[in-house]
Amino acid sequence: MTGQVEILLVEDNPDDVELTLHALRKENLANSIQVARDGEEALEFLFCNGTHAGRCFERPPRLILLDLKLPKVDGMEVLKRVKADERTKIIPVVILTSSKEERDLVNGYNLGANSYIQKPVDFDQFRDTVKAVGLYWLVTNQPPEPNGFGHPAVQVTAAK
Amino acid sequence: MRATCWRPAWITLVTISREGKITDVNRATETATGVSRERLIGSDFSDYFTQPEKAQQGYEQVFARGSVRDYALAIRHTSGSVTDVLYNAALFKTEEGEIEGVFAAARDVTERKHAEEEVRRLNDELEQRVIQRTAQLEAANKELEAFTYSVSHDLRAPLRHISGFSKLLTEEYGSNLPTDAQHHLQRIQEGTRRMGLLVDDLLNLGRVGRHEVRLQVTGLTSVANEAVAELKADCEGRQVEWKIGSLPFVECDPALMRQVFRNLLSNAVKFTRPRSQAVIEVGQREQEGRPVVFVRDNGVGFNMKYSDKLFGVFQRLHRPEDFEGTGVGLATVQRIVQKHGGRIWAEAELDKGATFYFTLGASEEGEPKTKAAMAGDRV
Repeated sequence: MTGQVEILLVEDNPDDVELTLHALRKENLANSIQVARDGEEALEFLFCNGTHAGRCFERPPRLILLDLKLPKVDGMEVLKRVKADERTKIIPVVILTSSKEERDLVNGYNLGANSYIQKPVDFDQFRDTVKAVGLYWLVTNQPPEPNGFGHPAVQVTAAK
Repeated sequence: MRATCWRPAWITLVTISREGKITDVNRATETATGVSRERLIGSDFSDYFTQPEKAQQGYEQVFARGSVRDYALAIRHTSGSVTDVLYNAALFKTEEGEIEGVFAAARDVTERKHAEEEVRRLNDELEQRVIQRTAQLEAANKELEAFTYSVSHDLRAPLRHISGFSKLLTEEYGSNLPTDAQHHLQRIQEGTRRMGLLVDDLLNLGRVGRHEVRLQVTGLTSVANEAVAELKADCEGRQVEWKIGSLPFVECDPALMRQVFRNLLSNAVKFTRPRSQAVIEVGQREQEGRPVVFVRDNGVGFNMKYSDKLFGVFQRLHRPEDFEGTGVGLATVQRIVQKHGGRIWAEAELDKGATFYFTLGASEEGEPKTKAAMAGDRV
């Protein structure tokens, strides 16, 4: 894979980032993982602007792992923007969060989240969960060809 | 201005002609109206009321029906003060039987009305105060629950990190570490595991507290049986005799009730562990006409001296090496029972066993529903 980001991990806590990366790498599930430390950075990466203005729009990540409590722009807002945009709405979004708030669950699914997972405290369980998520969305699941990104109109937008 | 309370009650007597003119009055009528007898006689009777048309209607009713009873009117005094009265009136006739006019007697009910208003006012005030106090208590409770929730929620993240990194340390460097260090790491792991359980139990307690009770008529026998089925795996290799009697149908939140039975029964399973033959019984009895559900075991029991601690958060009556637990389970059960307007209590004897009793406030018609339970909901 030439520079394609397979997973966008949106997580503000460095310890969680480290443990998640450790779990993913150990299972050899992802060659390329991009970490965004807040919601704004995640959106800039996805929509190729701000600090990621030079990035090519035609290579969206294959999976977004999204924490909810994030600085600047929170996870729900990121989810809303991703699912509201024709160009990004097919990217699977897995909410991976500490909270099991009924309200968050309902909101998450209403906004189009593909999955909602509460991070287990026990590291073995956490690793199993991350592994299962990675396996399912990157290996088992069959996504459509990302033709939305090759659409001429989109290319114009991306070229701006 | 209303007439004040110190004024003595009186009875006014008036005779009114067929034309509606006053023909005679007693002293009390002068007192009530502030008008002299001379001026009252010959005047229109309805002039002295706050609602002259209503007075006129009452007068006409006397002609239509022969009499009226307890007809409510208000007399206006020349000073402007008003007196509430009830009228009894009848036709009076000459010896020849010819209708001469109306005889009306009114009694002053101002005082009674005042007393009634006072009672109403006090009731309203009391009700207001209860509403206020309840709202304050509810707010305090909610705040406490929100606090518990956010604390336990925020504790999960660092706990996950301790668990994660100590695990990685064990996996990646464990074999190079001296036995002592490996033991320490193991204790860290065990500590985080226990704290994880604690935090999750606390979160659950907070969630129960904030959960809105959704009442529906539920057969408790099937709820108890579901809980038993879930617990059977924990009893593997043990001799456990389950006696599930017929329980009432009650109005409750089934999800919360499942938790009540799950917690009480898993306690029973836990504390009968030293018994070669455990006996766990679920049943109901009547108390003051209402069904009381009980869960009884022949386990290690506890000293009733400590029964007041039983339902407190983090309160434990056993050593962790004897019986594991977080001390949140019974607090959760109590919270659920209270949310249903019920009560929970326990009786126990050390080394003989324990019985937990609970009522649900919303339960009613214990008799017929009990019979239905016996007919259709047996184990």
